[in-house]
Amino acid sequence: MSLNDPAIRQRLAEFIARAAGAGDVVIVALERMSGGAVQENWALDVELDGEIRRWVLRTDAGAAVRESSTRAQEFAVLKVMRAANVFAPEPLYLCEDPAVTGRLFFIMRRLPGVAAGHKVTRDPNVVPDPARLAGELAANLARMHRIKPPHPGLGFLRTMLAQDNIAHYRSYLDTLSRAYPVLEWGLRWCEINAPAREETTFIHRDYRTGNYLVHDGHLAGVLDWEFPAFGNPLEDIGWMCARCWRFARPDLPVGGIAKLGDFIPEYERVSGRTVSPQELNYWQVIAHLRWATIALQQVERHLSGDTSLELALTGHIIGQLELEILNLTEHA
Amino acid sequence: MNDLPHAADLLKTAREAVTAEILPALPEALRYTGLMVANAIAIAERELTAGDAAARAECERLRALLPERAEPLAADTLTDALARYNQRLAGDIRAGRFDSKERGALLEHLRRTTGEKLVVSNPKALGVCRT
Repeated sequence: MSLNDPAIRQRLAEFIARAAGAGDVVIVALERMSGGAVQENWALDVELDGEIRRWVLRTDAGAAVRESSTRAQEFAVLKVMRAANVFAPEPLYLCEDPAVTGRLFFIMRRLPGVAAGHKVTRDPNVVPDPARLAGELAANLARMHRIKPPHPGLGFLRTMLAQDNIAHYRSYLDTLSRAYPVLEWGLRWCEINAPAREETTFIHRDYRTGNYLVHDGHLAGVLDWEFPAFGNPLEDIGWMCARCWRFARPDLPVGGIAKLGDFIPEYERVSGRTVSPQELNYWQVIAHLRWATIALQQVERHLSGDTSLELALTGHIIGQLELEILNLTEHA
Repeated sequence: MNDLPHAADLLKTAREAVTAEILPALPEALRYTGLMVANAIAIAERELTAGDAAARAECERLRALLPERAEPLAADTLTDALARYNQRLAGDIRAGRFDSKERGALLEHLRRTTGEKLVVSNPKALGVCRT
């Protein structure tokens, strides 16, 4: 179902008028944005009492609503992030009434900038000063990691520390008919080398190149707040620096844009934490294990009839992830 | 008997047509899909060309790695035998049976198996230098 059905547009305009307390609402443009298999993003331009506003409407994709409270949770997370000075889109209005568009959605302010990983890692016009951008990403992450449980607005988040990650991926592998010995090895290695003590903070769990907007060479905002948890803050560092998220520049450990020296010291300075090479290595292994299990889920989706060339080819990156797991664990 | 050329030749020729003629003519919005089509054909082509030599070698290594528990292949198909050996290997790894002295042998096997897989999935990944 498209949001551009005239009746839906009408109800949407009425919802915005109520939510914004505006007398006159005209929807100028409503267009599906690229990306998002689970959620859909629509660019929404609205004239509010004569003034143009550029927003994004974020909604569950398709008719099947996966978890009815998910959009509401994401909305709550964005509110907490804005209050903590974390670069993220400003959440505006949450609609929990399915009668408006048929699905739950929220509206947030649209941020300018480029997110596409192959552009961010390749185009010097997009990122003229990579070290500065890496520093901004580090400081932003450190501010995010100041948010700790218990938090009144985030009671719905689950806790995922190292052992929780391991247990979670093992239980997923147990549902598959094929065995994955390299992933089992990686999980066993992570179990043996698991940190004795862990800090627990808010973690984004998809903080990487491709999921942040760069505008005028600066970090404009972090996107995709679908997977947060309370967990080890180093998990986000390992994910950001994992080889699988370096796009055109596998030689640049920080998201294919910069060297570790442009990122880790700034994170340490703002967070007051230290990140040892061993810890970074450990959480890079976890990152590849996590991406491998997500890739396996995508293969399952393809094989179970939700056919897609992109999902099918994701199955063939598992070998690369396994190679990296072997490289990271062999001498460590 | 099927007529010539064989599947691998057809795939190679089709991929070359995609790369040389179709990709350059595609609008920007379809370029990514075009590249995915070429990549999928290339993987299928390499899988066909590789045959089952790697699977046989993997099976032999697994038998050596799991000596007491390995049963002869006998009536098994290669795929079934591989699946069962790998189940056993995965369980043994999880149980910690490869934590100490057999660790080196395990890692050598896993590295070879991953390399054999990448010959089909992504041969370029094998040549990537480490940072």
